[in-house]
Amino acid sequence: MPSRKAKAAGAVAGVLSVAAATVIAVVSSAPVAAAATNTFTPVADTYVDNSSTGTNYGTSGQLGVDNSPVKRIFLRFTVSGLTAPVTGARLRLHTDDVSGSNSPAGGTLKAVSSTTWSETGTTWANQPAVDGATLGTLGAVSRNAWYEVDVTSAVTGNGTVSIAVTSTNSDGADYDSRESGAATAPQLVITSDTPTTTTQPTTTPTTTQPTADPVLVGAGDIADSGSGDTATANLLDGIPGTVFTTGDNVYTNGTTAEFNSYYNPTWGRHKARTKPSPGNHDYNTSGATGYYSYFGAQAGPSGRGYYSYDLGNWHVVSLNSEITKSAGSPQEQWLRADLAANTKPCTLAYWHKPRFTSGSNHAPDTTAGPLVQALYDYNAEVIVTGHNHQYERFAPMNPSGAADGARGIRHFVAGMGGAGFYSFGTIAANSEARNNNTHGVLKFTLHANSYDWQFVPEAGKTYADSGTNACH
Amino acid sequence: MLTLRNRILIALAAALVLGGVAVVYVVRSAPAEVADAASAVQTGARMQVLTNGVLSTVSANDTRGPRSLTDRKCDRAYAARDTVACLVPVDALTGTRLVVMNSALQEQKTVPLTGFPNRLRISASGRMVSWTVFIDGHSYATTGFSTRTGILDRSTGRVVESLEEFSAVVDGVPHGAADVNYWGVTFAADDNRFYATLSTGGKRYLVEGDLAARTVRTLKENMECPSLSPDGSRIAYKSAIEGDPKKGWRLSVLDLVSLTSVPLAEVSSVDDQAVWLSDQTVGYGLQRSDGVNDVWSVPADGGGVPSLVVEGANSPSPVVGA
Repeated sequence: MPSRKAKAAGAVAGVLSVAAATVIAVVSSAPVAAAATNTFTPVADTYVDNSSTGTNYGTSGQLGVDNSPVKRIFLRFTVSGLTAPVTGARLRLHTDDVSGSNSPAGGTLKAVSSTTWSETGTTWANQPAVDGATLGTLGAVSRNAWYEVDVTSAVTGNGTVSIAVTSTNSDGADYDSRESGAATAPQLVITSDTPTTTTQPTTTPTTTQPTADPVLVGAGDIADSGSGDTATANLLDGIPGTVFTTGDNVYTNGTTAEFNSYYNPTWGRHKARTKPSPGNHDYNTSGATGYYSYFGAQAGPSGRGYYSYDLGNWHVVSLNSEITKSAGSPQEQWLRADLAANTKPCTLAYWHKPRFTSGSNHAPDTTAGPLVQALYDYNAEVIVTGHNHQYERFAPMNPSGAADGARGIRHFVAGMGGAGFYSFGTIAANSEARNNNTHGVLKFTLHANSYDWQFVPEAGKTYADSGTNACH
Repeated sequence: MLTLRNRILIALAAALVLGGVAVVYVVRSAPAEVADAASAVQTGARMQVLTNGVLSTVSANDTRGPRSLTDRKCDRAYAARDTVACLVPVDALTGTRLVVMNSALQEQKTVPLTGFPNRLRISASGRMVSWTVFIDGHSYATTGFSTRTGILDRSTGRVVESLEEFSAVVDGVPHGAADVNYWGVTFAADDNRFYATLSTGGKRYLVEGDLAARTVRTLKENMECPSLSPDGSRIAYKSAIEGDPKKGWRLSVLDLVSLTSVPLAEVSSVDDQAVWLSDQTVGYGLQRSDGVNDVWSVPADGGGVPSLVVEGANSPSPVVGA
């Protein structure tokens, strides 16, 4: 990629220094642990102003906080690369080197639950709710100086952190934004334990072997005449577990000849552990007969295309977006009966056409709504789809697409299995991660009452996205 | 209703007037921004873009400065003279539609459409509006996709539902194939002649069309998404690298007299219908790998280097109100 694009994207963001132990005096609570510090600059920062409610200041070099007019600062950091528990986090802000940047009250820092606000699109009128706990308060601030606040409670580990700065003082403060350059950009300085190899007392040398939790790994939009599916099949070679597909297994028409020529030499190596789902290209052959004859009983009842199975504590459902999904349809009725009969505490479902997507080529498939509703009604955790040739992850959402931290389902579009990439269009609400230049597979580790997701990139690429959620 | 520009002016005025300290505050702490805002007030020149689907404007003199966002959501937008056009996002109930507005963003005409918004252009006079939608949701990089391109004549209200109704001459031969797709119209100053992309038989052509005669004829192969320069002498376009869209597109400019082309200094793949920001400069959107777009510009003569025009935006229009 040209470096100038990275510049536009805010190349100052990222890890500035690892283990720069000079910033913070470490208060060590564990004698065997050494502290490491990681310093992050924002991936996005802006402020909003109630005297100009439709204006965005995301490209400004300055961040204003004030109570007259009311200005609020929003900062977002992506914390990554931590390998040990967080022991402390401090937000550092540098006041602008201009007259008037000083203030008798530097502002109050609060956590913000939204992690998807846009640096260049956030205005007073559409600002995210400042809905989190108060993290700390800055006293009087002078011009051209650093200030820091303990924000440990907002940082739990790797992930995205949003913080707002507000003020009740009509003499506001002005800080430098990330656009001001690395020397004065805001910083999130995280201290974490670096456990030494001091031996822990071993107490229970019993025969209980820890059983590895089940792994479910896969993608969609896979095998064409190109090399993308070769790269992703190579990833599968090193990842044990069950393989899922989210449709469009082979291009262009899902014929038996195409399955044999394109799919079989790559992902076909893992056919014995594959639980597929069909896509529109599989159905370009009438009745998807190429698909059903290639996968046989592993594709569920032939011609039907929906079925379920269990992995550890998880119930997994493979559905068919290429036939009717309406409320009351045989598939929707089957799904509700299947979920009603399920006794596992966690549920994951996958099919081809996404209910939620930011892709520019295929609009969200609202006809999948009844399937999403049924899964939501039965407290499912995860939905994985494909169709748009890219990767996208959403925050947990209700069936209408609103953020729902209590019961919401986390949606993934995993259309990065091998086919050529598509562009993104308007980025949908609650979209938390996206990529369209890296083929890969999406790996779920299905714990007893939680799951880890991990985007595993093809060899030579670095895009990463991972996280953990508890089951409902 | 206030015009968009007046609303912006009022907002700026309010920012300066509200609270006595505001003036002092702004002047002392953000001199650069005040200077930019003041110049915008004086010239009124604004550039329209989409900020992740939100119709927005920036000062033409400070395109990377403060941005005004409206309440209007579009997947593609364009502005010319006193006219703003918007292809609204696909909705579960209504699908997409073309909305034509005046500069105060009051709706004047709506055309219901089936498909996924893609290209949009208004003639320089503001009279003609053309759109392209993907019919089955595909991309230009795939084979077998389907587009539909239509034209609205605002003076008569007449709508050409699809350019596929027109008679086509391909390489000098009347063409009857059913696989014809059109996309990316650009209009000449007479509001009759136009250029567009025609694809048939796996080939993509630059075509010249005559709206009144309802005809098109091919000019050159492997030229897509034409954009006619303000002086009418050149066409900016994208062409598939080595003729293979899967390898991406290069932005170039064709001289209509000599029919010679020069590739522009932008070497990233540009999948956009460029706009002419002046007779010397071409603007376009480029997408990062996380789906965020930026508007860039590059000299139209093949020299220079690309420069960032508006961060986090796409679908730029030429500056209006200058």
